[in-house]
Amino acid sequence: MNWGAALPLFVLASSLLPGLVIFFLPEERVAIRSTLNLVGAALKLVLAGVMVWGIFHGSHFETRLPLLPGLDLLLRADPLSMLFVGLSSILWLVTTVYAIGYLEGSPNRSRFFGFFSLCVTATVGVALAGNLITFLLFYELLTLATYPLIVHRGTEVARRAGRTYLIYTVAGGTLLLIGTVWLYTLAGTLEFTPRGFLSTLDGASSTALVIIFVLLIAGLGVKAALIPLHGWLPQAMVAPAPVSALLHAVAVVKAGAFGIVRVIYDVYGIQFSATLGVTLPLAIVAAVTIIYGSMRALFQDDLKRRLAFSTVSQVAYIVLGITIVGPIAAVGGLVHLVHQGVMKITLFFCAGNLAETLGIHKVSEMNGVGRRMPWTMAAFTIAAFGMIGVPPLAGFISKWYLGLGALDAGQGWVIFILAGSSLLNAGYFLPILYAAWFKTPADAWPAERSFGRRETAWALLAPPLVTAFLTLAVGLLASAPFSPLQWARFITTLEYAE
Amino acid sequence: MNAIVGVSLLVLTPLLPLLLAFPALRSRLPQPCYIALLPAFILLLALPQGASIDLPWLLLGSGLGIDSGVGRLLLAIAVLLWMVAAHLLHTAKDEPADDRVTSYYLLTLAGNLGTVLATDLVGFFTFSTLMGYGFYALLVVGGDEARWRAARTYLVVLIVADLMLFEAVLIAAAAAGGLHFEAVCQVVSQSTSPGLYLSMVLVGFALKAGIWPLHFWLLPLFRASRPAVALLLGAVPIATALLGLVRWLPLGEISLPMLGLIIMGAGVAAMLYAILAGVRQAQLKMLPAYAAIFATGVFTTAMGAGLGDPDAWNRYADFAYLLIVSLGLGVALLVVSIGWLQARPYSPAMPEKQAADSAPWFECWLGAIARWAVQMGVDTLPRLRAAWLAKVGALWQAARAWHRALDGGERFLQRWVCAVTLFLLLGIVVVFIA
Repeated sequence: MNWGAALPLFVLASSLLPGLVIFFLPEERVAIRSTLNLVGAALKLVLAGVMVWGIFHGSHFETRLPLLPGLDLLLRADPLSMLFVGLSSILWLVTTVYAIGYLEGSPNRSRFFGFFSLCVTATVGVALAGNLITFLLFYELLTLATYPLIVHRGTEVARRAGRTYLIYTVAGGTLLLIGTVWLYTLAGTLEFTPRGFLSTLDGASSTALVIIFVLLIAGLGVKAALIPLHGWLPQAMVAPAPVSALLHAVAVVKAGAFGIVRVIYDVYGIQFSATLGVTLPLAIVAAVTIIYGSMRALFQDDLKRRLAFSTVSQVAYIVLGITIVGPIAAVGGLVHLVHQGVMKITLFFCAGNLAETLGIHKVSEMNGVGRRMPWTMAAFTIAAFGMIGVPPLAGFISKWYLGLGALDAGQGWVIFILAGSSLLNAGYFLPILYAAWFKTPADAWPAERSFGRRETAWALLAPPLVTAFLTLAVGLLASAPFSPLQWARFITTLEYAE
Repeated sequence: MNAIVGVSLLVLTPLLPLLLAFPALRSRLPQPCYIALLPAFILLLALPQGASIDLPWLLLGSGLGIDSGVGRLLLAIAVLLWMVAAHLLHTAKDEPADDRVTSYYLLTLAGNLGTVLATDLVGFFTFSTLMGYGFYALLVVGGDEARWRAARTYLVVLIVADLMLFEAVLIAAAAAGGLHFEAVCQVVSQSTSPGLYLSMVLVGFALKAGIWPLHFWLLPLFRASRPAVALLLGAVPIATALLGLVRWLPLGEISLPMLGLIIMGAGVAAMLYAILAGVRQAQLKMLPAYAAIFATGVFTTAMGAGLGDPDAWNRYADFAYLLIVSLGLGVALLVVSIGWLQARPYSPAMPEKQAADSAPWFECWLGAIARWAVQMGVDTLPRLRAAWLAKVGALWQAARAWHRALDGGERFLQRWVCAVTLFLLLGIVVVFIA
C-alpha cells in the first residue's frame, strides 16, 4: 500500500485508535486521556492539511478495500470531501480543547471521549466515502456514536431526547438504505462520479429515479434537519455543550447536508437533477425551512433551543445554494457548509460558557452578562452578527454568493427569502445582544462559579475566541488563496466544467 | 517611500480606531480617542497628492483611496468633527464615565473614516454597517427609557436600510460584474432597467439620512441624545448616507427627468417642512434636527436636478460635496452653540408640557383632528385607537396560535415519526407497483 492509498486510512485512524484506547482508560487517567485526544486531533489536522495540499497539486488519495462482491469500501479524497474533512479537523481540535475544560471533574469521561472520537471518525468517513455504500456505513456509525453523547447526562429528558434522535435517524437511515439498494439494482454501481453516474444510465424510468431521489433526500434530510424532519434537533440540545457543538457545527447536521450535496452532484449530477425536475421542489423545501426555523427561533427563551432552531434555518442555506442550479449559488451553498459551522460552534461554546460559569440557560437571564463575561459575549456578538449576514463576517459572504447566484440563475424569489431570513435573524439575535450589553445586570446570577480574576476557565474561553476570530477571518479574507470561499469555487469549477 | 507611507496611512486610518476599540489594546494609552485620529490627520498633512490601494484578497476584492480634492475635504471635516465629539465626550458632566463609550466611539469612528476612504460598494457598505451599529451602541449606552426607545427605532431603520442596500449591491454586482463605484455607475447608467437598483439605493440611503418624509427616527433621537452624540448625528449617519447617494448613484451619467422632478419636489417639501416646523420649535436642542432636515432637503433638490439634467450635475457636482460638508459643520456648530447656551445659568428651561404644546399643528395633526371630532360629538380617535389595539391584539393572538399549532405539529411528528415513515414507504411501494 503506497502513501496515496494509506493516507485516507491514517486520517480515519488518527481519531479511531485514540478513541478505542480511551474507552479502556480508567476515569482518573486524565492526563493520558487528554494527551491522546489532543494528539489525535492535531495529527488529523496535519494529515488533512497534507491531503488538501496534495489535491490542490493534482495528487490522488484513494483506499479501496473489498467489502461485498462488486462493492468496495472506498475512501477517496476529492475537493468536496476535503472541504468537509478540513472543517471537521479544525473544529474537532477546538471542540476537544473545549470538551476537556467543560467536562473537568464530571463522571464517565472515558466513555464520553471514546464516543466523541468515534463520532469524528464517522464524520471523516462520511466525508471521504467514495461510494454510496461506504457513505451509508459511516453515516449509520455516526448515528450510533452520537446517541451515547446525547444521553450522556443520563437524565430523563436526555434519554427522551436520545430516543427521539434514534427514532428519527434510524428511520432516515432505513430510507437511505432502501434508496441505495434500489439504486444499485438499477445502476449496478454506487461509486461517486463527477457530474453523476445516473445521467448516462440507459433504460431507467425517470419516475423510479425521482422516487429514489426522494428516498435518499428524506434519509439525509433527517440529519440535515430539513422540515418536517427536524424534530430531533431542538430536543437534542439537552446534550452537553461540546456535543451540541458537534451536532450543530461539525458532524451530524453537516453530514446530512453534505450527503445531499453528494447525491445531487456525484450520484445524479446537477444538470440531470434539474432535468428530472427535483431541484426546484427541494429548493422550495429549503426556503420554507429557512423561514420556518427562524420564525420558531424568535419565540424561544431557552438559549440553546433558540440556537437549535437557528441551525434548522441556517443549514438549509446549503441545500438552497445547491438546488438553485448555478455555479455562483453553489459557491454560496458550499462555503456556508464551513461558515455556518464556524459561526454556530462559537455560539454553542458561548452558550456553554454562560451555563457553566453563571448557570444561565435562558435569554431572559442574560441581562448585563456582557459586563460579567465580556470576552465570551464579544465572541457571541461576532458570531451572531455573522449569522445575520453583517459584513465583513462569514455569513455575509455566504449570503452574498447565494443572492448573486440566485440573480444569475434567474431565481429572483430567493432574494426575498434571504432578506426575510436576515430580518428574522436580526429579530432573534439582536435582543440577546441588547440584553447582554445594555441592560442592567441582575443582583445575582443563577449559579455562579468563580474562576478568580478570569471570567471563566481558559479551556472554555479560548475555543470560542478562536472560532470567533475564524468567523471574522474567513469573511474578511474571503478572496485570499486557500480560503473556504476559494476552495468552494474550486469545487464548483469542477462540477460545472463542460 | 511616499507610496508605502500613503498606503500604510490609508489602511491605518480605519484600522487603528478599530483595534483601539478593544479595551485591552488601549488600556495603557492616554487619550485613545485622539490617538485613533492620528493616521487620518497625518494622511491629510503628509499626502498632498491622492493615494489608493487595491486589496484583492480583502472581502470580495476591496480597496481604499483618497483623492486630492473632495476626498481630502471630507476626511478633514470628519477628523475635525470627531475631535470635537471626543472633547465633548470627555468633558460631559451629566454622563457617567463608561469605558464602553470609548469603545463604541472608536468603532463608529472606524466605520465613518472607512466610508470616506472606500472605493467600492461592498467596502462602503461594510464600513457603513459597522458605523451604524457602533453609533447605535453609542446612543444606547447609559441611556434612559426615551433614548432606548429612540435608538430602537434607529436600529430598525438601520436594519431595513441595510437590507435594501444589500439587495442594491447584489443587483449592481450581477449587472456590472465589478464593485468599484465608477464601474457600477457606468453600467447602471447604460442599463435599460435601472429602476430597481435606483429605488433601493434612494430609499435605503434616504432612510439612513432621515430625508423627509423618512425622518421619523431623527427627531426623537436629537431630543434624547447627549451633545456629543447629537453632534455626531449630523456627521455620522446623515452625512455618510448623503455621501453614499453621491457615490452609488450614476449622477451626471443618467438622465431621468420624471424621477428627478419627483425627488426635487420631495426636497422642496422637506425644506418647507423644516422651516415651518423649525421656527415654531421651542426646544432649543431640536433646532439642529430641523437644520439637518433642511440641509438634506437642499441636497435632495440638487440631486433631483442632477438626475433630471446630467450636464448640470457635472458642472456643479462639487457643490453637493460642499453641501455635505456644510451640513456636518452646521449641525456641529448648532449643537455646540446650543450646548453652550443651555449650560449658561439664565438659559430658559422649557417645561415638558409647554414643549409638547409648542409643536406646530402639522406635526400633531392627528391630535387636531381628534379634538375637532370630539367637539363635533364624534369620538373618532379613541375608537380608532381601540380598533388599532384590537387589531394588534388579534395579530399577537394569531401569532401565538400559530406558535402553538407549530408546537403541536412538531409533537405529532415526534410521536408518530415511525408511522409516518412507514406510511411514506408504503406510498412509495404503491407508486412503484402502479
